[in-house]
Amino acid sequence: MMSVSKTTAGKTIDIVKNLPRITLANLRPNPGAKKDERRRGRGLHGGNRSGRGHKGERQRGNRPRLGFEGGQTPFYLIIPKYGYNADHSRRPQYPPLTLRRLQYLIDLGRIDPTLPIDLTQLVHGRGVTIQPLKRDHGVQLTDEGADIFCAKVNLEVQMASEKAIAAVERNGGVITTSYYDPRSLQVLIKPVPFLMSGEPIPKRLLPGEALLPYYTDANNRGYLSDPAQVRAARASLAQKYGYRLPDISADERFEMLAQRKDARQIFFGLSPGWVVNMADRKILKPTDEKVLRYYGS
Amino acid sequence: MAASLLSRRTGLFFGVSKLNSFIPAVVHQIANYNPRPLWLNIKNPYIPDKESEKTPDWQKTEKYDRRLFGRYGRASGIDPAKLWPSHDRLEELVAEEREWHPPVEVMLGNIAAREKEKAQKRMEREKTIAANMAKMPKMIADWKKQKRETKQKQREDKIRRDKLLAEARERFGYALDPRSAKFKEMVAEIEKEEKKKKKLQKRRKKEDEQGLPTATAEASQ
Repeated sequence: MMSVSKTTAGKTIDIVKNLPRITLANLRPNPGAKKDERRRGRGLHGGNRSGRGHKGERQRGNRPRLGFEGGQTPFYLIIPKYGYNADHSRRPQYPPLTLRRLQYLIDLGRIDPTLPIDLTQLVHGRGVTIQPLKRDHGVQLTDEGADIFCAKVNLEVQMASEKAIAAVERNGGVITTSYYDPRSLQVLIKPVPFLMSGEPIPKRLLPGEALLPYYTDANNRGYLSDPAQVRAARASLAQKYGYRLPDISADERFEMLAQRKDARQIFFGLSPGWVVNMADRKILKPTDEKVLRYYGS
Repeated sequence: MAASLLSRRTGLFFGVSKLNSFIPAVVHQIANYNPRPLWLNIKNPYIPDKESEKTPDWQKTEKYDRRLFGRYGRASGIDPAKLWPSHDRLEELVAEEREWHPPVEVMLGNIAAREKEKAQKRMEREKTIAANMAKMPKMIADWKKQKRETKQKQREDKIRRDKLLAEARERFGYALDPRSAKFKEMVAEIEKEEKKKKKLQKRRKKEDEQGLPTATAEASQ
């Protein structure tokens, strides 16, 4: 029989009362919380080498430091430190896109040449991989495959070589080089995650003073250059490379070819400051004066 | 769809008949395409209760509200006016833009000024170089002349010293150390004599020029 307790909680409260206080002396890890250390050199293979191999630095664990070549001047000290690679981790990168690859993408139907082609199309068609966090600032169009390129496109890239420009324009196409700041670039290459964030489409920033001359130069077909100068540059490039410049205004796809983004615009047809809602399939435009002024400037 | 996407070249290359046989494969590809599901819980969205204490703080931010609106649209119950920055935030943005992002004209002006300064510096440097190059032939001539003179002087000194040493050997009968007191004494003596001789020569010359008077002067002496 249970002994009769005076308290209402019964025997338990008596036991708890009589137990010693919790101190460091009677604390121990929970059962199973600790694992016994492995004791090397015991048991069946006790006299052997405990899995450390035979003799030398390996067995005794006194290997020299990494890169040490036994007293000879190590390789990492032979190459002098000089400024050739200074700042290499902060230089903007422009992954190349060759005309051959562009033609391949168009031929496979991965890119639609009947619409203006910008980075969104190129990335979505898995034509290029852009990593803004790895200091990619866009793509550069290179002239490899210039002789086989035969698509008529309205192309927007971030840099282009002269021969690549000539190859695009020879086919009656249009090319523009334009600058995207890293944030706009992220928005441009991955529109859906951005639109899901519910933010208004940001304003594209202008290039810095280092890049501004490139984008104001008509010879590079920069997006900030004078259209009249671009027209003259197109004609002179045709003369230089010896082809007849097709008349774009007479083209059946003139409207598509004439499309250009504003200097502050990221997507075709969408202005900065608009909110695109995917769930409601709606575009929300701001009406507030100040907001409009900020996004309009 | 696929046929319209193909370029003129592919169309020409394959021909229409081949293109037709190509289409089913493309259709097959499209039919087999399995897009990643878009994990949107549209039927039963989670809209956190702003008043509740149990709701984590990060779900009460404006950013989270925008995200909710982006996901669920009107159903999220978020006021669309909250999607845009507030007036205070706008002021901050404008100030930031004014500080860090100057307009194109300003940047072009800066670039032009920098170029001009660079050109100016270059011009100045070129001018200095041209002026110095004009001075160059004279400087070279001077340097050559100086060098020639130094050499000449060295040669004369050597000849004189040899002569003195030879004389000393003649006088004393053995080779003298040029640093010794005896030699120095001798040199001083010789120099004295030479001086005297020179003086005498000078006087004689004078006498020759003056002619007669000198003779009388000599006679008087």
